[in-house]
Amino acid sequence: MCGEEAVMKAKKLIPILFLAAPLVVALAQSYFNPSELEAVKTGGKAYAEVFLNQRPDQALCSAHRNRLPADFLPKFLEEQRALIKYPQSGKLMGDWKKGGAIFNNLQKANCFSCHFGSPVHLGGDVGPSLEKYGLNRGQSEAVQRYTYEVIYNAWAYFPCTVMYRFGAQGLLTPEEIADVVAYLLDPESDFNTKPAVGSR
Amino acid sequence: MPLWVLRAVAVFVLLGLGLAQGEVDPREEAKRQKQLLLETAGILPTELIVEQGKEFFNRKGPLGKTMAECDFGLGKGVLEGAAARLPRYFLDTGKVEDLDSRILTCMTRVQGFRPDQIKRQEVVAIAFYIASFSMGKPIQVRLLFPQERELYALGEKLFYARSGARDVGCATCHISYVGRRAGVLPYADVLGKDKSWTHWPAYRYSNDQIWTMQDRIRACYGNIAHPQPDLYSLPILALELFMAYQNNGAVVEEWPAFVR
Ligand code: HEC
Ligand code: HEC
Repeated sequence: MCGEEAVMKAKKLIPILFLAAPLVVALAQSYFNPSELEAVKTGGKAYAEVFLNQRPDQALCSAHRNRLPADFLPKFLEEQRALIKYPQSGKLMGDWKKGGAIFNNLQKANCFSCHFGSPVHLGGDVGPSLEKYGLNRGQSEAVQRYTYEVIYNAWAYFPCTVMYRFGAQGLLTPEEIADVVAYLLDPESDFNTKPAVGSR
Repeated sequence: MPLWVLRAVAVFVLLGLGLAQGEVDPREEAKRQKQLLLETAGILPTELIVEQGKEFFNRKGPLGKTMAECDFGLGKGVLEGAAARLPRYFLDTGKVEDLDSRILTCMTRVQGFRPDQIKRQEVVAIAFYIASFSMGKPIQVRLLFPQERELYALGEKLFYARSGARDVGCATCHISYVGRRAGVLPYADVLGKDKSWTHWPAYRYSNDQIWTMQDRIRACYGNIAHPQPDLYSLPILALELFMAYQNNGAVVEEWPAFVR
């Protein structure tokens, strides 16, 4: 009887918990206070919505000015890791030609703006150089996985980094990311066979 | 010389040079372009816009008054050094206003224009004119009134906020990656040594446009595919107050400026 009673109680509790949990999270993690959000609303609907919908992880990076205290890191990394999804096919390397079109497109992924190494565009130096990435790192399963995951969700490796979370934020599909991974890693890819623009 | 002729000259001169820009420091390049334009056209676009602004300033509005009847913070009609002390709180409107919004207030409340009669290009030209009276002046922005302090706090938060699908914020580029380049453009140290507050309003020769800081901020949001705040809105004012205060004491070298 006791067991059954506990289950009944738990069943009653669950909906309450569901309601309460997001509230607590919202209170603990919102970066802007309500009067600030009112002021932000004068910026217009589209602008305000971005801040009204600020994600808890974004709020955390904002509040800590992109340098999370060490004790936040394990939980943060775990949550970011949990956001990563993989292609249906299970293959982390797709079509390097398609990947190149994504990598070198300003409107699409715009990787070259931050990274040196593209044979098509002069790269920026916000991120590390990726010149001859595949030749330097090889194509092992571990390298494929790392590269895929960094592109899918850079915050799972570099908390609060400036690099976009291409998969986690829906900017690229898992298949597109696999194509980009191939562009970086495949020894046949232009990225590894042709000289980077600006290389000496 | 009409503006479009000058602009045609400018575009012609600039096209010839645009290609070789790869490694050049954009600020040095701006100086060179300015010199070149002075030599070929004999006058700068900034000077022409200031002249235009002066005409708008001295034009009578529906209530028969010119803008000399307005107080830009240092008393009625006083322009000397006024722009270097904005944004600030104004008792008559009960609001913190920057140069742009104070011009709007003047045109609507004192001159009697309806808001829909006011063209953005005119406001910018008038801002050019008023700013030209603050050359050589140090930036002096205060946080005296609670409204100023609240807006400053919001500006600071917005500056460090990460938001949108690209998780961006002003600080990611202008703090964490100062001096780095995305393509050819280095990220300015807007709160520190670049004293960016003193670079606007400006004529941008790269796209032949006249911008105030309001336009600059909106463009930065636009570049990163983030929705832009409306002109004259509180988030823009907040970011401005924050940046201006951080640049307090910086001397205005050139207003309006000539930039890339
Ligand atoms: C806005 C800037 C930015 C963009 C856009 C960007 N990255 Fe990055 N990337 C970085 C930074 C910065 C790092 C280093 C992380 C850190 O230390 O914070 C990085 C790290 C990486 C790494 C790990 C490098 C290593 O040596 O282990 C890879 C791989 C990578 N990026 C690939 C890409 C690809 C592919 C794209 C486009 C789909 C891309 N990046 C877009 C900024 C960017
Ligand atoms: C992804 C990078 C990036 C982000 C994010 C960004 N900016 Fe910028 N910003 C730039 C670049 C690049 C320039 C230089 C553009 C040029 O030279 O025309 C610039 C120029 C500026 C300038 C003029 C600098 C000067 O010295 O004249 C100001 C002020 C400025 N940004 C403010 C902001 C504010 C405020 C935000 C946030 C709302 C912001 N930026 C977000 C990249 C960025």
